[in-house]
Amino acid sequence: MKKFQLGEFEEIVMLTVGVLYKEAYGVSIKKEIETRLSRKVSVGALQSALKRLEQKGYLKSAPGDTSQERAGRPKLYFEITAEGKNALEYTRSTRNELWNSIPGLALDVKFALSV
Amino acid sequence: MNQKLPPKLLLRFFKWFCHRDLHAYVEGDLLELYQEKLLNSSRRTADFKIAIDILLLFRPSIIRPFEGFKNSNNNAMLKNYFKTSMRSMMRSPLSSFINIFGLSVAIGICLIVYAFIDQDISIDQFHQNRHEVFLTTAHSYQDGELVQYGQTPTPLAQMLKGDFPQITEICRVEDVNVVLKHGDKVFHERVRFADPSFLDMLTFPMQWGTSGTLNDPNSIILTDEMSVKYFGDLNPVGEDLLMKFEDESVKTFTVTGVIEPFPKAHAIHFDYLVNFENIRKSDQAYDLADWTRSLNATLIRVNVPANIEAVERGMNKYKKLQNDANPERPIESFSFVSIADLHEASNDIRNGISYGTRKEGWVILSIMALFILTLACFNYINIAIVSASKRLKEIGVRKVIGANRGLVIFQFLAENILVMSFALLFGLFLGYSTFIPWFNGLFGRGLELVLLDLNLWIFLLSMLLLTGLASGIYPAFYISKFQVIGIFRGSVQLGKKNPLTKIFLTLQLALAFIAISGGVWMTQNKDYQINRSWGYQPNEVLYTDVPDQSAFDQLYAVMSQNPNVLSISGSSQHLGHGLRDVVVDTPERQYEVGQFAVGANYFETMGLQILEGRAFQPNFESDNRSLVVNEQFVHNLSLQNPLAEIVKIDSARYEIIGVVKDFHNWDFDYKIEPTIFKVAGTQDFRYLSMKVRTGKQSEVYQALREQWISHFPNTPFQGGYQEGVFSGYFDYMDSAAEFMRALAFVCILLASLGLYGLITLNISGRVREFSIRKVLGASLKNVAMIITKQYVLLFVLSTLLGAPAGYVLMETLFDTVFTYHMPMNYSGLVISVILLVGVLLVTIYTQVRKLAKANPVDGLKVE
Repeated sequence: MKKFQLGEFEEIVMLTVGVLYKEAYGVSIKKEIETRLSRKVSVGALQSALKRLEQKGYLKSAPGDTSQERAGRPKLYFEITAEGKNALEYTRSTRNELWNSIPGLALDVKFALSV
Repeated sequence: MNQKLPPKLLLRFFKWFCHRDLHAYVEGDLLELYQEKLLNSSRRTADFKIAIDILLLFRPSIIRPFEGFKNSNNNAMLKNYFKTSMRSMMRSPLSSFINIFGLSVAIGICLIVYAFIDQDISIDQFHQNRHEVFLTTAHSYQDGELVQYGQTPTPLAQMLKGDFPQITEICRVEDVNVVLKHGDKVFHERVRFADPSFLDMLTFPMQWGTSGTLNDPNSIILTDEMSVKYFGDLNPVGEDLLMKFEDESVKTFTVTGVIEPFPKAHAIHFDYLVNFENIRKSDQAYDLADWTRSLNATLIRVNVPANIEAVERGMNKYKKLQNDANPERPIESFSFVSIADLHEASNDIRNGISYGTRKEGWVILSIMALFILTLACFNYINIAIVSASKRLKEIGVRKVIGANRGLVIFQFLAENILVMSFALLFGLFLGYSTFIPWFNGLFGRGLELVLLDLNLWIFLLSMLLLTGLASGIYPAFYISKFQVIGIFRGSVQLGKKNPLTKIFLTLQLALAFIAISGGVWMTQNKDYQINRSWGYQPNEVLYTDVPDQSAFDQLYAVMSQNPNVLSISGSSQHLGHGLRDVVVDTPERQYEVGQFAVGANYFETMGLQILEGRAFQPNFESDNRSLVVNEQFVHNLSLQNPLAEIVKIDSARYEIIGVVKDFHNWDFDYKIEPTIFKVAGTQDFRYLSMKVRTGKQSEVYQALREQWISHFPNTPFQGGYQEGVFSGYFDYMDSAAEFMRALAFVCILLASLGLYGLITLNISGRVREFSIRKVLGASLKNVAMIITKQYVLLFVLSTLLGAPAGYVLMETLFDTVFTYHMPMNYSGLVISVILLVGVLLVTIYTQVRKLAKANPVDGLKVE
């Protein structure tokens, strides 16, 4: 099903937006990903992902308040749409399906090798 | 509150590329991160970090889409600009006129320069082989100076052809004076003797006949002009021409070809061509292997132009050959000049077959044109700044509606370009219809503007952009700078506080100053040159060539009977008609000087003034070993006591018995050279000169002519007024003087107009102020004083700037361009001060009168 297409980074961004709930804007999303996943995220990569997701209709945005440290620039808050929720759920279920379909033997071998 | 922000440039760059919807938010994010970074690291690290972030943001999804102009109605905007420009031009017709008129006159003059240079660089470029054909030149020292000669030793050509495989063709060229006769038409002519390759190397298409006929030693090829002179419009091919050489021998030539009229842009010129083999006929003793003889020109043609260097490197052996044969005049080196470069190089080549362009023409014309253009531009700048005060509201409204500064600048530049295009078209019209025909009429240059020439339009377009931007950029930036609030509050005061505006005004005045004094000096200098003394008295002297001694004796016998002839004398050479170059040996060194061989009373006849010692005495045997020298000779040899000094010529000893005042043998473009006189025997007389009673010149001239015709019907009469020897030069000087007067007039006109326009505008901008003053009881004198005061300082300043600058500038120009110019004086400066002050006062007077007549209420009503 082509309907719900989410890249790996996009998925992480969406999940983080979900985690932050009402507090999801550029800097907070970036920091959340960086602390939780310990990976570097550039503003550019994040912004283009957010923009893409909004275009796909998975996220919606609304301008928020301004603050001193932002030199009067407003924040743009993100929220997951119903479509976005479907997409996340779809991804999760396809993953689970795939997990469940793996024969126990294949994983055992892997475990055995890694041990 | 005091927040540290990242470098502005970075944020501007980000704003420039970022999508508009995203910009505010992302910038907020960036700034937030920046502030955070600042908390635990240095500012530099934070700057670096944000720079990286911004760079990483430069990706397709963030970059704003290219919108082009899809959202703006440019046509309407431009239409509006056009309309407002036209309206503002119409509103102040005087300043528009001054601007457009000044600029178009300047452009018209620039077009003369363009046409002049265009013609000059195209000279002789019509020769198809111009890059492969070279003139051989020789360098040798004359009086300590290395001089390049176009003449080279006679045997060189033949040897070159044999020695260098790169040389495909050579051509020997010699010009000889002969008498040509066809039917009853007899004239002295100069005929070019050249190898048949001449017409292969140079491109001279034939009108009639074929160029190959030059191979035949009995054929002669005429130019179109000469064909008309002897045969009218008929085709002369097959006709005979009788040629009489100097030694009275005669040969008949058959016309085998006529060359098409020369293109206007040509410098290599000739009248007749015959085969070079005839050189023996003209001079029996002509020895082609004699290294001491030289040819008028040796042309060579190489297979590939680059090969000329190889030839040049191999020239040393000829140097030795020549210098062994002719140790008197050793040659330093040989070099080659291609036909393509010959005209350019000809100013430095002595006795070349081509000619260069008068330096005076080039330099003065370009400087004047540039100067007038600058003056017109400054007029424009200052008038634009002052008249902007009337358009402040317009600018305010535009800004309020949403025009940013860039657009206002664009508007003003566009308007400027519009004015410029009017000026350009008018200037083109002026140049095409008036200036260039006038210039051609004065100098006979045959300049033309080809309206379809691409280069002309490139020139015009670059003029448009250059002058448009140069004159418009400052007003545009200045005017667009004002804040909207200031404009509407009326607190903007134009030009009051801006030092640059004052500098521009001072510069304009200084330029006007230099222009006017330059014009005055130029005119004065021409008058000076026209009235310059020759150093002798040419006005009562008549002269004629004589072929030999018996002719001289016959004429002498009859003319000395004439009661109007005061003195009569003979000479081998004659002032204004060439002289001999000889080498004078002194114990220290050798000098090349000019030599006249004259009869005893020649000095008296010509009015040459003896300063020291005495002139030759008639029938005084010992004077055969005496010399009379000119002042320059004494000066160059630094003789303390010239009389009784002994010098050697051709190893014969001569004693100096007299010093004659310096005189001009050539026109005033030539320096006075060291010159000597010695006694000539009657058998060597080739000229007869007579001093006649004042007012009887034409009578005696008629008598002389009649005597000549009755005695020598077969030889053309070659006599004339000594005054008329350089009449061509004086015609040129008169033309140049008229040209200078016209340019000076233009300079003065532009300078005065600019000043007038500026003051008028300034006063009309202050009408309200003056009206209030009037109402409060100020007298007209007071108002006039207030206006005058404003300009006094500027005037003094620009005089202090312009006077020395103009003086030095013109002196340098005169020194570089003229050999002899008038001593500098201060009249130019005085006249410019008077003129500028006059313009200032007249302008103020007319404006104050206008104020006096006007009702102050009207002045106060002015918005």
